Amino acid sequence: MKALESQFKSVYEVNYPKVLRLCLGYTNGDLIRSKDLTQEVFIKVWQNLKSFRNQSSISTWIYRITVNTCLIELRKKRTVKLTSSVINVEESNDNFSEEKEEKLKQLYKCIGCLKTESQSIILLELEGLPQKEIADIMGLSHEVIRVRIHRIKNELTKCVKK
Amino acid sequence: MTTFEDLKSDWKNQPEQNIPEDGFKIIIQKINELKRKQIITNVVLILTILILVGFFFYIQAYNSTTVTLLLLLMISVLLIRVIIEYISIKKLKNIDVTANSSVFNSNIKAYYKKRIKTHYIITPIIILLYSLGFILLLPSFKIHLSEGFYTYIIFSAIITLIVMVLFIRKQIKKELLIVKGL
Repeated sequence: MKALESQFKSVYEVNYPKVLRLCLGYTNGDLIRSKDLTQEVFIKVWQNLKSFRNQSSISTWIYRITVNTCLIELRKKRTVKLTSSVINVEESNDNFSEEKEEKLKQLYKCIGCLKTESQSIILLELEGLPQKEIADIMGLSHEVIRVRIHRIKNELTKCVKK
Repeated sequence: MTTFEDLKSDWKNQPEQNIPEDGFKIIIQKINELKRKQIITNVVLILTILILVGFFFYIQAYNSTTVTLLLLLMISVLLIRVIIEYISIKKLKNIDVTANSSVFNSNIKAYYKKRIKTHYIITPIIILLYSLGFILLLPSFKIHLSEGFYTYIIFSAIITLIVMVLFIRKQIKKELLIVKGL
């Protein structure tokens, strides 16, 4: 039990920022909601940690749990207010320039306008995951992912420019 | 001119949130709390059944075949509903959240479609049978129970039925929304 706990501790500390960032992408930057979702994700990580079998990297495994958890939890409470995200970004870092803050808000807003599957794909792309890994997480072929990423990238860039 | 690479860099450079101190311990505590809640739910369910069985003996229902059958009907439909709900919650918990998103999505869709079927077919039948059992029992309640207790039973039954129907309606609406969104 102690060994599992210490494994969980290191998994938690290494992956917490990544998971939270992904959740922020799903919630229009709502920090409180994202922290709740992150907690939900790590509850599932702990519950399934014993069954993790190194078939994929632990981070891919955690990304899968995050994508699935966010999709289902956000379905249960569909409405996400953008106003809360504005407050959260402002509070989080004083040194974060106003211009960058505006850009980030616009990016969150544009991600929020995408279809849920597209949201997952582009958030993983923004996180810098290789397309093969994204395909593995989404359960789609590499080719499908490649085409979709290209399309969503254009859609997102156009939206942010508005 | 904003390119996708700029967006990627904005994304990567967003202010990083601190990792909560002892966050992993809080998660483990939360899981223990969830287990405790599950135990409490089970205790409440068992108590409800025990109260019904106790009531069966209290009014000496075994002396009348009709009352026995009707009470058995009410207890059985209630038990069936509890068992269905219990199995359903277990099934939801068993859906592999570590599977890839396509597999997870189709499993969740299948699960909620089944839930909707339960809500639209089995739940109304259960409510109808339970109400029928209750209505047919009213004459013997009137004979065996004091007037105050009899009035109390009628009012509490009506209120329970209304609350139950409203609750189930809300639940169906919520689950339909989930299915639509998947």
